[in-house]
Amino acid sequence: MSENMYIARSSHKDARERGEYGGAVTSILQGALETGKIDGVVTVRAKNGSRYAGVPVLITTPEELIETAGSLHCSTPNISRFVKEYLDGASTMKLAVVGKPCDIRAIIELQKRERIDADNVILIGLNCTGTMSPTTAKRMFIEEFEVDPDSIMREDIDEGMLTVVLRDGTKKSRDLTELEEKGYGRRENCRRCDINIPRMADLACGKWGAEDEEKKSTFIEICSEKGKNLMDETIEKGFIEVKEPHKESLQRRKKKDEAEIERAEKWKTRDFRIFQELNQPERLNYWIGEFNKCIKCYGCRDACPICHCKECILEAKRGFVDKGEIPPDIMFPLTRLSHVADSCVNCGQCQDVCPMELPLSLLCSFLNRELAAIFGYTPGIDIEERPPLTTASEGELQIQDTFLDIPSITENGELNRLLHKC
Amino acid sequence: MYEPKIIGFLCNWCSYAAADLAGTSRIQYPSNLKAIRVMCSSRVDPEHVLRAFINGMDGVLIAGCHPGDCHYISGNYKTKRKYLLLQKMLEQFGINPDRVRLEWCSSAEGGKFAQVVTEMTEDLRKLGPVKIGEGD
Repeated sequence: MSENMYIARSSHKDARERGEYGGAVTSILQGALETGKIDGVVTVRAKNGSRYAGVPVLITTPEELIETAGSLHCSTPNISRFVKEYLDGASTMKLAVVGKPCDIRAIIELQKRERIDADNVILIGLNCTGTMSPTTAKRMFIEEFEVDPDSIMREDIDEGMLTVVLRDGTKKSRDLTELEEKGYGRRENCRRCDINIPRMADLACGKWGAEDEEKKSTFIEICSEKGKNLMDETIEKGFIEVKEPHKESLQRRKKKDEAEIERAEKWKTRDFRIFQELNQPERLNYWIGEFNKCIKCYGCRDACPICHCKECILEAKRGFVDKGEIPPDIMFPLTRLSHVADSCVNCGQCQDVCPMELPLSLLCSFLNRELAAIFGYTPGIDIEERPPLTTASEGELQIQDTFLDIPSITENGELNRLLHKC
Repeated sequence: MYEPKIIGFLCNWCSYAAADLAGTSRIQYPSNLKAIRVMCSSRVDPEHVLRAFINGMDGVLIAGCHPGDCHYISGNYKTKRKYLLLQKMLEQFGINPDRVRLEWCSSAEGGKFAQVVTEMTEDLRKLGPVKIGEGD
């Protein structure tokens, strides 16, 4: 197992200094650009140097890449949508895309829908324990940390603590759960997220497992053939220095992952409780109340990576939802929900962009979890696995249910079993 | 007596023909069902059913071919999956999932079709009219 894992650091001094943990990711990408393996890198850059305004960028020269080293926790760039809309879904160039687990999953979902070219993209996943929305983060830094948001050099979320390092080198830490109780801290969807290590990408990189290294390093897990090729070439050409991780490192990495998953479960139970506590009549009232705030800005549709139709049925000219009506017919949010719920990757973009702050991500991820229990489908993991509502598996075609025994499917996980048999 | 309003989405190849057969065979069934012919039962998206409820329907019947008989090979299996999503969505929004029924009806099953509609009408009579926003 450990032959697929490395502790790596850059051989380049600049990258080592600028990078978060030894600059390995930066150097891998620089190497790939220099050797012409890829034409460009999609990553995130702090716009005008502000940590609170990270934007997706396309970088085509190794020199420029150094500016993007290090991570930004207080920005929520929409990387998958960027690749699809502005780079023609990587149809004309070979790209390496760097992203959090949810970004990578969104890209994989778009690849299934043939909106991003799977052959032209190398996915570099970064471990993630959550991001914060910029305004909440700024307010939190002023009120809870009592520091100037612009004086922060880097942030880190680990073991339930949020740590910031200021320009003058001072460190400040606060308990994340306490902050989140007060409404600060990570975004809601990040709190509920249980995918911390992006094993669905080609390379999964992060600091977990490499904390004890004398020199700052990155732990890299190779998750695919493509990733292996890239790593082998990079090592061979001397862009990074690698060594094998110790057993203890692997274990620590696993333990940290499990601890985060447990934390996410707690948040899920807590957030989804509101649905379970409402009785049937109250549920619709609650949602009608929320949906009545909608101003039909189409923000959620435009931000959602799963919304991929070229001609959206919600456009007024399609005649499904009347034009000029605010709040829109309840069909507007419901249609969106029914179109994306089976494949929601819990990226939280819908809720981020919503000017009326509707709990869209909460609704969608709740329904997605219910469906996952029936179909056994986790969105954005395996490119070969089709979205559950648009497919019928070989195993399913063998079912002889002339009498349509739905409860046996939903309750006993019959469908789930059959789906995975073949 | 309260008459529930039912929308029936009937598949062109089987269920619509079943309804036709029920008619030509003079089999009696309640006139509460308004039929909409669709080319395949999998054309029925959850939003169509939700829209029916929001516009005052009390029940929705989705009828398609038996497993293995689909004109498009696997359409009815997709219908079944969509139906599962729909059930969850209805639950989420406080509409009784029993108001939607999925049935397989071949073109020779005029009798079954009539029986399904009769049963469904009776069931919905017991449930009463759908009250959007007032609970159900």
